[in-house]
Amino acid sequence: MPELQLKRGEVVRAEGLVSLQVKEGGVSIVGGLHERGAKVVIPKAKSLPVEAESDAVIEYTAGPGGAIERLPGRTIPPEWDELVGEIARIKPRVVLILGEVDTGKSFFTTYVANTMLRQNLRVAVIDGDVGQSDVGPPTTLGIGVIEKPVAILQEVQPEAAYFVGSMSPSGHMLEFMVGMKRMVEHGLQRADVTVVNTAGWTTGGPGRALRLYEMELLNPDLVVALQRGKELEHLLKSVSPGKVRRLTMSKQVRPRSKSDRTFLRELYLARYFEGAGRLTLDLRKVSLERCYYRTGEPLDPKGLGVAPIVYAEKIPEGLLVVVDGELSQDVVRELEAKFGNVHVTPLGSEKNVAVGLADANDELVGLGIIDKIDYARERLVVVTPVKDVSQVSVVQFGSMRISPKGKEIGTVKPGSF
Amino acid sequence: MGFTLTFEQTELQKLLDEIIGLLERYSDDPSVIEAVLSELKAIYQKIPIYPGIITVCLPKVVTLVKAKQLNKGSEVALRLKDGRTLSGKVLEVTPAEIRLTNCHEFGPQRPCADQAVPVDDLREVRLLTREILQKEWPDLDFQE
Repeated sequence: MPELQLKRGEVVRAEGLVSLQVKEGGVSIVGGLHERGAKVVIPKAKSLPVEAESDAVIEYTAGPGGAIERLPGRTIPPEWDELVGEIARIKPRVVLILGEVDTGKSFFTTYVANTMLRQNLRVAVIDGDVGQSDVGPPTTLGIGVIEKPVAILQEVQPEAAYFVGSMSPSGHMLEFMVGMKRMVEHGLQRADVTVVNTAGWTTGGPGRALRLYEMELLNPDLVVALQRGKELEHLLKSVSPGKVRRLTMSKQVRPRSKSDRTFLRELYLARYFEGAGRLTLDLRKVSLERCYYRTGEPLDPKGLGVAPIVYAEKIPEGLLVVVDGELSQDVVRELEAKFGNVHVTPLGSEKNVAVGLADANDELVGLGIIDKIDYARERLVVVTPVKDVSQVSVVQFGSMRISPKGKEIGTVKPGSF
Repeated sequence: MGFTLTFEQTELQKLLDEIIGLLERYSDDPSVIEAVLSELKAIYQKIPIYPGIITVCLPKVVTLVKAKQLNKGSEVALRLKDGRTLSGKVLEVTPAEIRLTNCHEFGPQRPCADQAVPVDDLREVRLLTREILQKEWPDLDFQE
């Protein structure tokens, strides 16, 4: 196994896939101290600086694409250390990290968290990027408390998560805001400092609204803006100047392509659903959220006298029917005359819809993928890693379709169910 | 923090602006309207939750090009100087002409004077109602 001898202060770049073991001395990886005996795996497509805090010996194994390269000096800008020092000193309860896509927000979040841990502070990290979630599976917002140094945020074990229902806050602004608030409340209870890593959507009407209302709702003590130039200034104008800290992004940040992002998302989803099984939920015992279905007054479908209708209920918006086949326009017009709007859901259209499974306190216990709804027997079958049916009291409908192997296969029109 | 938001919180408005713009620009060309509509429907069915992406894709359904830029097999709508529109697939392009296959012709719209239409000739009668906002929701029909 190759060995690397480092003098105190020397820096190397570890390009994943690389497995490192510290044989002597101590090294810092993204601010986290790893001493003799520590093992660190840097995954594929990640590249991290390793800094010798004392004379050190590292043993390493490089996998596909992996490499170790000596660097002339530190890659972390000195202003980052000054800011992290300030955070350790003033102990803000909530720190919000702003930045466009690929500005190193996750790296900086990791750096802050690891450095705070070394100061014996309890740090919680929230990942606010539902599409590229490092803490918790995609489609969720997650929070974890750092118990040991981490090289990447994916090593943080989620303590709680909130199902947003999609890979983007677009069309899910309300779920997103509720989830962020709940995650921050969790952090305030569990940690000295909560670091919120936000998503890179910062411009355009929805992007501005999202970021501004997020800041208004979460009321961070400190807003850290990671910028290439001045691309966040339009948002920072709405923040009390005393709360803002501007940082230039690290030169080490590498952009990820759209296909890289999709690949990573699907990889995380595939890992999440690995080993998942089928769970049958009794719809008389669980409640459904974020859908029209089972929120109204059930009607006997036979009473409607229309053969394809297998399920019907009266809701304030009109009539909700599930049909096995086609409804003729004449039948729809007759039903509309009687009930107002008619909301038609084809039988089986629920297949592969991603759902959140929550407990009686509305805390997320896992994700699921709908296999089928048996309307007659009032059963919902989901594919999920959650094993214990008694844990699930709530099913929250999302707007993604995911195959049981974790591949994204489509989206759901809002209001379909 | 002080907020005075006037910007849109969804991208739906931009999508509506884009659809209106396309309908206005190409109202005289049924083949283009059909292409825009079928693409709109197809994209919406695939990604109903991302109106912003639909807005980006939709104007790219129709692009104005020179005749020499066409390739065999391209689907085109050709506006002629006499007001007709020909749509179809390109068979061949020469400096002098464009040959099309699977061609459809749409005639120019012409104003016509008073007409008498035999009821027996009717397939459907479509009543058009203008100023519908005033009739359906008069409180929102703000007078400038």
